Amino acid sequence: MNRQDVLITIEKALSEVLERPITGLTEDTALFDDLRLDSSSVLGLLMTVEEATGIAVDPDDLDIDHLRTMRSFADYVEAALRREEGTS
Amino acid sequence: MSERPAERRITLERIESYAPERSVRIEELGEHLGLRRGDLGVFRKFYGLDRLRYDPQLPLLDLLRPAARAALAALPDDGHVEYLAYAHVTQAVAPADTDMAQVVRDDLGLTGAEAFGLSHQACVSSLGAIEILGNLLRAEGREGAHALMVTGEQAYSPIVQLVPNTAIMADAAASCLLTLDGEGDIVRSFTTRTLGEYARWLELTPEQSTEYGEQYAARIAEVIHQALEEAGLTFEDVDLVIPHNVNKLAWRQTVKELGIDQDKVFLDNVPVYSHTFAADVFLNYTTLRDTGRLTDGAHYLLVSVGLGATFGAMVITHRTPGGSR
Repeated sequence: MNRQDVLITIEKALSEVLERPITGLTEDTALFDDLRLDSSSVLGLLMTVEEATGIAVDPDDLDIDHLRTMRSFADYVEAALRREEGTS
Repeated sequence: MSERPAERRITLERIESYAPERSVRIEELGEHLGLRRGDLGVFRKFYGLDRLRYDPQLPLLDLLRPAARAALAALPDDGHVEYLAYAHVTQAVAPADTDMAQVVRDDLGLTGAEAFGLSHQACVSSLGAIEILGNLLRAEGREGAHALMVTGEQAYSPIVQLVPNTAIMADAAASCLLTLDGEGDIVRSFTTRTLGEYARWLELTPEQSTEYGEQYAARIAEVIHQALEEAGLTFEDVDLVIPHNVNKLAWRQTVKELGIDQDKVFLDNVPVYSHTFAADVFLNYTTLRDTGRLTDGAHYLLVSVGLGATFGAMVITHRTPGGSR
């Protein structure tokens, strides 16, 4: 999964969680401020991305900074994907 | 409390708990609570829930009786119970013409005791009741006077059982027999803070809910620090935080706020019992005691948060019968 695929996967997950179509986001889009994601919908987002990518989110390692922007979240997902590849 | 050394100290003579045997996985409640698969996934993965005790067929009195009787068994031959407080969260736990405090009192045969209910601190009501009962004993208690705190209720409706994006409530009960200057655990301090702007419980606006969630951990940390200060202790002196079982995520955030190790907060019961209204801290206490994890002379923090919103922390010093102190 390349960077573009990751971004598209996140967009799809956001559309599902927020129950409205989300497209055309940039790496600078702020998830909380620009999309009005809140603390509960962000957990739904993580669950959906987990399901779509096969990554395993460790609740103990999760930091709110990972979820601030599309860039930080995509970085987090990519790092998790690399870990999954390394362990499988 | 520590600033008034002449004041007689509240001691917790016996704490007991009870949970119905019927245990269900949270997924079994999905349809009943209107939770989708993804919602349940969030409760399981991030909030750390798994199973809970839930028995709608059990009469409320049968839920309350075992722990109350077991705690009462510690009453010495020359002691008597002067007050019984039934601490609950949901105001309407029984039909309007039924006063559960008096029903429990009569069932226990405590005919001479003054019985009353209290609920305004929600899930902190049980800790609050300890302080109120202690103050009543100080003010009016005769020689050998004891008091019984009874707490516990049932998640009898989806409205009561589900706190959206926060908790799935479950059935359990607990009781505490207390007196002044007895042999049991010493209550060193008790601190609460109530934020009345959140008095509408589950009917907060989305903005208020966000605002409340954002300060939740900080407000818990605040009452904890204040309770420690009043007890003349620091966090290093505390063996373990015995918390309410609201969910693991809220406590992970609080642990970060406090800057402490996660293993300093006892969360093992979250996936076993979930949030049992005001009974959590006492239920968790009995789990720890019965598995030999409470040390004689060690200090513990009992912490709970109630909708409405009240944050409460109590510092106790554990004493085992025949302990070395």
